[in-house]
Amino acid sequence: MSPILRLRDTSVSYLRDGELVPAVRGVNLSLDAGETLGLAGESGCGKTTLAMSVLHLLPRSARLDGEVLLDGHDVRTLSWGELRAARWSSASVVFQGAMHALNPVRSIGAQIAEPMRLHEGKQSESRLRERIAELLEQVELPVRRVDAHPHELSGGQRQRVMIAMALACGPRLLIADEPTTALDVVVQSQILELLGRLVSERDIALMMISHDLSVLSSSCSELAVMYQGELVEQGPTDRVMADPGHEHSRALAAAFPTVGDSRFRFAPAGTRPSEEASSAEPGSALLAARGVSVNFGSGDGIHAVREVNLEVADNEILALVGQSGSGKTTLARTLLGLQRPSSGRVLFDGAELATSTRGLRRYRGQVQLVLQDPTGALNPRHTVYEAVAEGLRIHGATSDERDRVTEALEAAELRPAESFFARFPHELSGGQRQRVVIAGALVLRPSVLVADEPVASLDATVRGEILALLLRLRVERGLSTLVITHDLGLAWTIADRVAVMYQGHIVEEGEVEQVLLNPAHDYTRTLLAAVPSLREQPATER
Amino acid sequence: MSAPATPRAIAWSRRGATLAESWRVYRRDRGGLVGLALLVVIVALAVLAPVLTDGSGLNVTRVDAAPLQPPSASHWLGTDESGRSVLLLTWWGARMSLVIGLAAAALSVVIGTVVGVLAAHFGGWTSTLLMRFTDFFLVLPALVLAIALSTVLTRGLGTIVLAIGVTSWPQTARLVRAQTLTVETRPYIERAKALGGGHRHVIGKHVLPAVLPLVFATTTLTVASAIIAESTLSFLGLGDPSRVSWGAMLKSAMDTGAVTAGAWWYLLPPGLGIAIVVLSFTLCGRALETVFNPRLRGVGA
Repeated sequence: MSPILRLRDTSVSYLRDGELVPAVRGVNLSLDAGETLGLAGESGCGKTTLAMSVLHLLPRSARLDGEVLLDGHDVRTLSWGELRAARWSSASVVFQGAMHALNPVRSIGAQIAEPMRLHEGKQSESRLRERIAELLEQVELPVRRVDAHPHELSGGQRQRVMIAMALACGPRLLIADEPTTALDVVVQSQILELLGRLVSERDIALMMISHDLSVLSSSCSELAVMYQGELVEQGPTDRVMADPGHEHSRALAAAFPTVGDSRFRFAPAGTRPSEEASSAEPGSALLAARGVSVNFGSGDGIHAVREVNLEVADNEILALVGQSGSGKTTLARTLLGLQRPSSGRVLFDGAELATSTRGLRRYRGQVQLVLQDPTGALNPRHTVYEAVAEGLRIHGATSDERDRVTEALEAAELRPAESFFARFPHELSGGQRQRVVIAGALVLRPSVLVADEPVASLDATVRGEILALLLRLRVERGLSTLVITHDLGLAWTIADRVAVMYQGHIVEEGEVEQVLLNPAHDYTRTLLAAVPSLREQPATER
Repeated sequence: MSAPATPRAIAWSRRGATLAESWRVYRRDRGGLVGLALLVVIVALAVLAPVLTDGSGLNVTRVDAAPLQPPSASHWLGTDESGRSVLLLTWWGARMSLVIGLAAAALSVVIGTVVGVLAAHFGGWTSTLLMRFTDFFLVLPALVLAIALSTVLTRGLGTIVLAIGVTSWPQTARLVRAQTLTVETRPYIERAKALGGGHRHVIGKHVLPAVLPLVFATTTLTVASAIIAESTLSFLGLGDPSRVSWGAMLKSAMDTGAVTAGAWWYLLPPGLGIAIVVLSFTLCGRALETVFNPRLRGVGA
């Protein structure tokens, strides 16, 4: 019997400005029932293009070469009608971004029923409802929510609805494109578990696409690593992870460090463990929150931050860890003076934060912010030079502007600084943009840096470089950093201390080794358990 | 070295590059090019009117031609009820229409931009107050207000500009407010605030540069409607009686029975003039919109 999916020398090129630009080159793959394949790679490596070629869901400017055999039929030779039938009944897709892939004005029941109505013709309403209920049960959603609309569901529930939709017509192949990217670690592990169970229960094949090797390794039995349109490595997960053959797989694997592995401590991807970093002694408290609460709305509004005490000492990196919605970004905004606390005080160097415009401006010369998304954090109309000099111009220090901009860019490892002056954000890579944002903060010579998810929107291999930069800034300049993240691996890689935030409270705080290796609070344990890790056996087999 | 020597040079080369790129996109819009060419010709003729023609021909005491003559070799577009050349009147009337159109549009756009940006930037009750104020002007019948203003205030160029300006700004204000709101949610605004930038910095460096292109495109469209408004007011007899304008020409054509007498040469030139100028401004405005809003560009752009 032929496998469910077989790719033979598959290539896809896009027609751009009269030229064919290859996106996928000569890929060979095969996938059978009960198998799970993880397709890993950075953004732009062609992994989504490859997945969409299976259902021939490519834009008109694309050209598909080679063979794509789905259930033994080559999708390239299928007629329009046959292709329609194949979509959803032989293979279906769980799209990236459950927030936007659902229709906001229709109930989820109606949306799950849609593919069934389209593909299986007329059937009685009661039969349909029965099948929807069955599907909801399979994805572990309460059946009574069938009439709910997408906005009434959480992110994880919406992703479950997407999976139910994909399963509606009983496909033999399920393609999941970044199914957990926008989700919390805890929800992420639940979704991965669900996908794994569905594969073994329904005897289907799963192709999962992600940039995060740890997600794939915990849920797939086979791994394929893509790099610049080519499959550079393919094999059983255990082997690929334990002994990556290609340089790029090694870089990807190193970008998602294992908590507890001493090889990764103070050693962001590709660097050697820093001796100075582990031996550095933190100084006195520099930035401190004392009983800070932040409420939104009046009366019984939202209590985003409750009675938080937190200290960032001189010459240390503190990681503030928590799920989205735990109040960590609000706390950071409060520390920066961008948000007034409802009660409590923020102290910098022993003195309370000023409330006057002028006092706050002086304070902002000392405490600087690095935002999550470097693409949004840079004004697309400003050149790199202007973006970096912006802070200096605000603070009126213009006499040696050019030298200080050069110095800041070089400190952020953009060398030679002059060659970046006249460039625009869109001409830079994601990592370079984040370096520009960091340079824009460094140019004011701050003593504390607040970095809100500094690497969350960056590619795996670039993450390590940016983290190494933050670590080096601390070692070389004694710059204190408060890193806000949902990623415990990141905390393990660069932080001295870690504070865990849950529903507005700091539930645990202490040295990284102590908190992450011997967690005292239940929530910390939940977070740690949810981190996909190599030591778990892939859930899909055995 | 590719790097320019000074920060100022970087800023200027950046602006130059932006302009060149905008022009490249603009050039692809054939309608926009036609509109621009027409405008250049019309504006040049209007500006050079005192040089190219004899302004004394507008003085009724100095003309010797017979009234309401059809087009002939000596008067290409015939004469009006007092024997003045209609060609000369139309030529000079263009000056008035353009000046009032531009001035009124500038006034309206300035008010609209200031109100829109402030409402969106400060939010809270400032926004509520300003937007209710805008709503008030939005529901006022503009023509009636303009007529009332022109009657109460002394007749003259300034009054017409004011009347048109204060009645046409609310649309701009709402548009600018919407645009400002989207810009204000961008992370780079947060970054500017974290760098210590105050209101003036955020508005001046980030909000205005992002909003102004849109405002510029709106202005060209506003000029078109201001010219129509000016003609309407003059036609209703609320204009400046001492100056020639296209609306005033149409009014005297009505009043002196030129229409019933079949003097088409008296009606067509100012009417066509209004149509052509308004059309050119609209074409330019639409083309500018596509330059500043990439989403309006078609496939292959």
